[in-house]
Amino acid sequence: MNRNLFLMEIKRNSLSLIIWMTIITLLISVTMSFYGTFMENQSKIAGMLTIVPKGALQFKGISNFNDLLSVLGFYAANNVIYMMVLGSIFAIVLSSNILLKEEYNKTAEYLLTRPVTRSEIFTSKLAVIYLNVFLLNFVTSLAGFICMELVKKGVFSIGAFLILSVYTLLLNILFASAGLFLSTLIKRGKPITTFSIGIVLIMYFIFTLSKITESASKLGYLSPFRYARVDAFNPDYSLDIWHLAYFIGISLLLTGISYRIYLRKDIYT
Amino acid sequence: MGEPVINITNLSKFYGKARGIEHINLEINEGEIFGFIGPNGAGKSTTIRILMNMIFPTSGSAKIMGMDVIRETKQIKSQIGYIPSDANAYSSMNVHEFLAYCIRFYKVPEGEKRISELSRLFELDLTRNIEDLSLGNRKKVSIVQSMLHNPKLLILDEPTTGLDPLMQSVFFELLRSENRRGMTIFFSSHILSEVQMLCKRVAIIKEGKIIQLEDIDNLRRKQLKKVTIEFSDHLNNQNFAIPGIESVVTGPANLITCMYSGNINELVAFLSANKILNLIIEEPSLDEIFLHYYKN
Repeated sequence: MNRNLFLMEIKRNSLSLIIWMTIITLLISVTMSFYGTFMENQSKIAGMLTIVPKGALQFKGISNFNDLLSVLGFYAANNVIYMMVLGSIFAIVLSSNILLKEEYNKTAEYLLTRPVTRSEIFTSKLAVIYLNVFLLNFVTSLAGFICMELVKKGVFSIGAFLILSVYTLLLNILFASAGLFLSTLIKRGKPITTFSIGIVLIMYFIFTLSKITESASKLGYLSPFRYARVDAFNPDYSLDIWHLAYFIGISLLLTGISYRIYLRKDIYT
Repeated sequence: MGEPVINITNLSKFYGKARGIEHINLEINEGEIFGFIGPNGAGKSTTIRILMNMIFPTSGSAKIMGMDVIRETKQIKSQIGYIPSDANAYSSMNVHEFLAYCIRFYKVPEGEKRISELSRLFELDLTRNIEDLSLGNRKKVSIVQSMLHNPKLLILDEPTTGLDPLMQSVFFELLRSENRRGMTIFFSSHILSEVQMLCKRVAIIKEGKIIQLEDIDNLRRKQLKKVTIEFSDHLNNQNFAIPGIESVVTGPANLITCMYSGNINELVAFLSANKILNLIIEEPSLDEIFLHYYKN
């Protein structure tokens, strides 16, 4: 890893990170501020939810209305899924651009002509991706935790909350690895931001569709969102070893392939 | 003489089926200012990008200071400076931030002093944002960044684009002075006059192949003469087809301009059989020599 490059990239991405942190934290805070009102009007809301198709709740991990009554259930159903989607968009946009922008901004001619190897460039930029994704998850999860502490009407399982946060982080890292992989496949660098965001949204759409449509339920296996469990209010909620292996395995595989490609990639400006 | 600073052996690069460069062989010696000329698309930048390990060759090899440009690229780059043809630096930085970022890749004692010296020489405002700079000023930034670490070899790809004549002269003077101190310079350009001003030796590249490798003085001293003849009567081009006559251009009023590389006596003998009003035999300019090689 090259320290100079790492620090410069951190600085270059800091504004974007702060903006994303602020947006997600605000979304969490606003949503959690409705928890008190929700609890006061639970009987009316319960009545309203009876007309909502069951599948529409299931994709948020809710199997019945009571799941929403715990603060963790409310948080998981209303925030985590958005944290997962928005966090994944942040991760994939960052990772799909971090190498490619040197090509389409024509700065690769400065970077690649310094005494630094391709391997050092890749690892420095990868470290920046991991650090950014981790910081975003840490700050937004912390914001979620503080909000739950402020509005809770009982206790909630910190262990379940941490597992939920780990699932969000793993999902974000998987999409970051996918973005990095895609960017190394692009020849004669052009931005792929829209395409990357599209991938996250399509995966989320596939996951949603598989939950609300019986006939499309098998399609859900294609989406990484399926493997990030959000039913934190369930007593048996835990970190599934196979899901963990799925996230870590795919992320490592995509990152490893990206690394191999980048070492031998022709870079044009 | 020691090992060449740049040693290119049978280097080829194809983009799918499209030709980049083909079987390039080149040796550039220590302390040389070497010109690499050819029009756009001839393969100059492809060659340089392979040397800088930005792209990989299809076949062949290249060494800089005895080190392989792929395997030992980091060690090589610590000793070379490079000016790209497109002067696009990080637009979010100001000039000083960019130069400080560049110099931190090297172990340069008194780096700030070096930044100040070079910036003063090129009249650069260190506080300006790079995205606000004109093309000429961005080029100056590019020149300064290439010399911050006192490289042993400087590789220049169309370095003067956008520079005003005054700054070009400052830049050339700096190159000459660095060369006197031992710096080797690889100067790629399509502008012959600037190559002529600086370089001792030149390679002409055409359609991916080196077609001429020559001392610049030899190139000038070649038998090639530029001949301008004004005939009193109209002369058919076919009647003018004598050995050594090339690149015939027929102008107005029976005026013919051509390049002649044959025996001058044969030309005179031929002309004496015709009625001519005017005859000029002169040394062609380097541009004309270049065009001559290209057309042939």
